[in-house]
Amino acid sequence: MSVSTLASFEYLERLPGTTFRRLYQQPSTALAIFRRMLPHLAKTFVMALLYMSKPFPLTDLDLWVNPNSKRERDKALQLLSRLYIITVTPPSRDDPQTITLTQKFGESLRLALTGGGEHNSFGVPSNDSVAEGVDLAFLDEYAREQWEGILHYVVNSVGQSMGGGGQGPTDAVKHLLEAGQLVTTGRHSGKGITQAGFSFLLQEVNAQVWTLLLLWIENAEKMELDSVEVLSFLFMLGSLELGRAYSKDTLTDSQRQMLPYLVDFGLVYIPRSSSGHFFPTRLATTLTSDASALRSVSAGFDAASSAGGAKGFIIIETNYRLYAYTDSPLQIAVLSLFTRFKARFPNMVSGRVTRKSVGNAISHGITSDQIITYLSTHAHPQLVKNASIHGGPVLPPTVVDQIRLWQIENERMKATPGFLFKDFENGKEYEGCVKYADEIGVLIWKNDFKKMFFVTRVEQLRDYIKSKKLK
Amino acid sequence: MPRAIRGVLVQCDPSIKSIISKIDNEEHAFIVEELDDQTLVIKENMMTTLKMKLDEILKETQNNDESSSDE
Repeated sequence: MSVSTLASFEYLERLPGTTFRRLYQQPSTALAIFRRMLPHLAKTFVMALLYMSKPFPLTDLDLWVNPNSKRERDKALQLLSRLYIITVTPPSRDDPQTITLTQKFGESLRLALTGGGEHNSFGVPSNDSVAEGVDLAFLDEYAREQWEGILHYVVNSVGQSMGGGGQGPTDAVKHLLEAGQLVTTGRHSGKGITQAGFSFLLQEVNAQVWTLLLLWIENAEKMELDSVEVLSFLFMLGSLELGRAYSKDTLTDSQRQMLPYLVDFGLVYIPRSSSGHFFPTRLATTLTSDASALRSVSAGFDAASSAGGAKGFIIIETNYRLYAYTDSPLQIAVLSLFTRFKARFPNMVSGRVTRKSVGNAISHGITSDQIITYLSTHAHPQLVKNASIHGGPVLPPTVVDQIRLWQIENERMKATPGFLFKDFENGKEYEGCVKYADEIGVLIWKNDFKKMFFVTRVEQLRDYIKSKKLK
Repeated sequence: MPRAIRGVLVQCDPSIKSIISKIDNEEHAFIVEELDDQTLVIKENMMTTLKMKLDEILKETQNNDESSSDE
């Protein structure tokens, strides 16, 4: 599953049940969560339960699942209940455990799948005369410009200005990037990209959009926007049709307040002349789809506009020389984070990955793995072809190893914050605690002889020790 | 009753560990507990200072400034 799914998961899972119940009143939300967030097994469960009128015994559900896949089953069920999609009755002596879809979710999903109802949840197409010149190409171009502007700002926050054109993102967006610690201001050399910022750059576009939107939602709570309305609007956007105008009239107040920000992100376009409707762009309509093919913005748009557009552009040789066939200032700026460029031509740049340039990137908090991932994701088709012919890796192993070594060079020690437990009264007490710590996955280091161990988190373990003491 | 002590677990080579112990010998401000010759626990708030000191010492001892950038 992609990164974005994980990121949005984490956010969603923090929401209370009441929020979910309100979210699920919108068929578009139920559908979006269903198609974007659930693994296949969970989807199967939901589909099976969808038209079931009575609670379904859990033991019967077990019959559907291969006994070897119990883990997957548990995972799917856990996820479903965390997202408040199913309710499982607590185990009791008299009745067997049963499982049901939560009422709201079931209703909404049925509505979404079979149609019907007056919910306007999938947007209302505007009947006004559509503004001229707004076609797919225009929307793509608009979204690309906005989004690249944001990415460019993130990259350029590193010292040197690449003199990239455009006015850059609006202040609101800049502020957001700082709040999300994708870029930092002050401290070392004025502004700087952070590790989070670099991982942000490496994500596929869809994940980037989600990251930024989630940041925005977190900040929006301070602006006293209702997060339920914000979320359902986003899920609705994901179900709109590209290239169509939608009416603003059915939106709620907070959703209308949201529009300007979405314009900043390039998710929607509002023609200046007529403010009665808005156009979702490709960034918005792919929000909840599985179209994860969009790698980088430009590659994604290339692929979308001209089938099979060039994806990779980087060639790296065993002697650390790097050639990048690109004229995008954004990509060049990203590369220059860890490459020393020597020459720049109209359609390509060439340079070299050196110990110093990589060290520089690492001092910004970018990890070697991130660099390697970036290089391999954007490797030139020629490299990929060669690799598949010889059955070897895409990037020259020497270079990959060296980049890793350069990082290790600067990190002589591995530091993990946490808690050291010591002074156990007897071996039995120690062993019990260690075993428990290992089971909940917080144990990092132990020494049976000295009866000491080190854990990353203490809360659960403290409760465990307390409960032991009581007995 | 077991005790829990907050700190940062540092895992490193014995050589680095001995440098850390040497730094700590000066003012005993860093190490909470030495566990074995590759692991020790450091006070959480002193971690950045320790890293800086370590980097300084390493820079002095290893003089491998690169000649790799010549083309």
